[in-house]
Amino acid sequence: MKTRRGFLATSSSLALLSFAESTPAFLMRAAAAGAASNSERVLVVVQLSGGNDGLNTIVPYGNEIYRRARPSLAIGADQVLKIDGELGFHPSMRGFADQLEQGRLSLIQGVGYANPNRSHFESMDIWHTARTSHQSRSLGWLGRMLDELPPHSGDAPALHFGEEAQPLALATLKTPVSSVRSLERFRLDVGGRAALRRAIQESAESARGSSNDLLSFIQASTINALSASERVEAAVKSYRAAVDYPASGLAEKLKLIAQLIDAGFRTKVFYVTLDGFDTHATQAAAHAGLLEQLSSSISAFVNDLHAHQQLDRVLLIAFSEFGRRVAENASQGTDHGAAAPMFVAGSHVRAGLIGNHPRLDDLDDGDPKFHTDFRRIYAEILTRWFQQPADEILGGRYEPIEFLKADIG
Amino acid sequence: MNSKFHEIDPRWAWRRYEPGGESPWNKRRAAHLFRRAGFGADTALLNEAISSSPEELIEQLVVGVDSSAFTGQMNQMMRTLAAGNNPRNLASGWLYRMRYTPNPLHEKMALFWHGHFATSGAKVEQPELLLNQNELFRRHALGNFGQLVLAIARDPAMLLYLDSATNRKSHPNENFARELLELFCLGLGAYSERDIQELARCFTGWEVNQGKFRFNHYQADTGVKSIFAEHGGFTGDDGVRVVLEQPATSRFIVRKLLRFFVADGDFPEALVEPLAAQFRADGLQLAGVMRTILGSELFFSEQVAGQKVRSPVEFGIGLLCGLDATANLNMLAEELGALGQSLYFPPNVKGWDGGKSWINSATILGRGNLARRLLTNSETRFGGRKLPEYLAGQGVVEAEAGLNRLLELFVAIPIPDSSHARLLELARRGDAWADVLHAITVLPEFQLS
Repeated sequence: MKTRRGFLATSSSLALLSFAESTPAFLMRAAAAGAASNSERVLVVVQLSGGNDGLNTIVPYGNEIYRRARPSLAIGADQVLKIDGELGFHPSMRGFADQLEQGRLSLIQGVGYANPNRSHFESMDIWHTARTSHQSRSLGWLGRMLDELPPHSGDAPALHFGEEAQPLALATLKTPVSSVRSLERFRLDVGGRAALRRAIQESAESARGSSNDLLSFIQASTINALSASERVEAAVKSYRAAVDYPASGLAEKLKLIAQLIDAGFRTKVFYVTLDGFDTHATQAAAHAGLLEQLSSSISAFVNDLHAHQQLDRVLLIAFSEFGRRVAENASQGTDHGAAAPMFVAGSHVRAGLIGNHPRLDDLDDGDPKFHTDFRRIYAEILTRWFQQPADEILGGRYEPIEFLKADIG
Repeated sequence: MNSKFHEIDPRWAWRRYEPGGESPWNKRRAAHLFRRAGFGADTALLNEAISSSPEELIEQLVVGVDSSAFTGQMNQMMRTLAAGNNPRNLASGWLYRMRYTPNPLHEKMALFWHGHFATSGAKVEQPELLLNQNELFRRHALGNFGQLVLAIARDPAMLLYLDSATNRKSHPNENFARELLELFCLGLGAYSERDIQELARCFTGWEVNQGKFRFNHYQADTGVKSIFAEHGGFTGDDGVRVVLEQPATSRFIVRKLLRFFVADGDFPEALVEPLAAQFRADGLQLAGVMRTILGSELFFSEQVAGQKVRSPVEFGIGLLCGLDATANLNMLAEELGALGQSLYFPPNVKGWDGGKSWINSATILGRGNLARRLLTNSETRFGGRKLPEYLAGQGVVEAEAGLNRLLELFVAIPIPDSSHARLLELARRGDAWADVLHAITVLPEFQLS
């Protein structure tokens, strides 16, 4: 017996194939592409908005300068989850410590860029576009990559889950990217009327003879939206999580992403954000809560994907627009800083610390200095994970930081 | 799409539209005028429109009609909304105004200026100040651009939003000066960093005190400034004057008006310059240039029909206006925010990008779901009645004629025959005009204006 989902997938493919010659070529290819393959690689980006305090995330617990600079915020040797003789995770990051032990997490230290900008807006734009100068910053680094990829199906090439505005990192020239607030908003409500649903679907698919490029763009977006709506619904109906996700906003979004990945959704990039890292005042409790959410959610996600045999094709990165000052301020908080650690999770990563912890006796205007340009991480992802031309996308040559194992191809 | 604008003869483009022959004055063109120069029209308004000439209609839109009763009612409503001290409450009031205003072009211009001089309630938390700024946009909607800029430079909401309020002699804050050049008047590349620094000095001492503009002469830098090769002990007003005298100002504003009213995308210099010259000759009065644009051959031509993506506000209010509908505007304001356009909360100082940026799968589905809610919610009234009775009163009864009537009302360009056939099938089911309307709102063509 045909499932509802199978039937819809078939009928919409046939409708696409029956397009007249004015059909945009990429839609024809999309229709012909068929089902998702299990080897297609996926990137999940977790953005930590506000500027994560790297020093209290990977804590140099033995460092005298650290302890003196942070009379109220320093975390002691007896509290951290030790990584080695000098560094340890914030005590609320049990999940990350577990993943490190499993060999599925790498910690890239001292990441940033030259002449750091300490404005949230500016620095986030820099991370999103991989452009630091006064060049045009209308396209994102992921957006540029998506524009390079051959269009492959009706599924959105990238999905952003969240209430906030779509991150600039996903801004494309050609490929529309979707933002999704919740699953409810990703389903077309037709009041249960099948005839209406069919009329909408077929009216959208009818060939347009016009050369109006806005119309072609909107038609492609509409077809994409209708198919995505069906598939999201189907994916969620059939999924059983293999682990218990913690009760948090981030975990909920990651669970949804795991469902879509497991359903063979052909989205290349999933993007979520966790906000609240701008801890200028009474940082300790707020930061602990955020790190707990971050680490437990990502850990559950990785375990779930592993149990569903999907982890091999998934890479997760977590970054923030900047770190924070070494010295705490007068309100038991920290102010905007510069270099910070970045996190990468998956089964293909070289687990453990990559690069040295930034020196605390050699600061840049009170902040740890970067030694690893963030674009070197992007370069590794673009070149080795997605086999895309990193130089073009990043607007320059950046030596990849080899955080992926040698045997991934 | 831009390439074809390069082939357009500017003399033809801005010549006055003469109805007849291949471009008759009909309901389709009247609907186009009301969609672009306002927020939409219902059948009654379109019937009225085609019995006047386009010239008369445009004159009425530009000059405006006496609206003192409506304005009084609105002022009272807006003050009530502001009293809650939450700027999120203001949007529904403005939507009401857009839906019912006797002067739709003035309201559309106010929305244009809101996007141009973008100021967000996320930073300016006092609703009173946002309302005052909004009134300023309406007052100067089709007035003199120079006076509007001078007023904006003193506007407390703007001063707070762009940190001019902390612009001190010893530490000039360049934020407002930079945006005045980059986003408000000249556009990127038409000035130097040095011009920004010198211009910022002109505005030192322009402060906000208890919600009002105040000039603090202790903080004012009275020294000599050099901006665009002019030197003098310039005040802020002088600074604005120097910027407005740059010919780039007229071109920048005309280009943006064309994007907003005529077609998404960039217009070639050859099409911009004749209007910019008129704008300069008029001393930066907006009414003349808007008359030329709206009354032009290009504006009423097939080249620009369906060449703009409807903004969320145009989508929502357009649907209500077309069906003479009243709906829950708090709900509408919130949903429009989810679709990317929160009034009084533009995303950043650049305002809304518009065009393709409105569209992605989520907003397409969101638009469809919003339309369904508006059409089927028991709170929505159409001409004071329920939808089926209203439509029957409008002569939307027989399937094919009814469908064509609705398409004429809402869709800027023809839809494919097979889409038409599918909608007709739906209409023939008899019980489902709300479904037909819903299906129309999800058509790719419906997203265009």
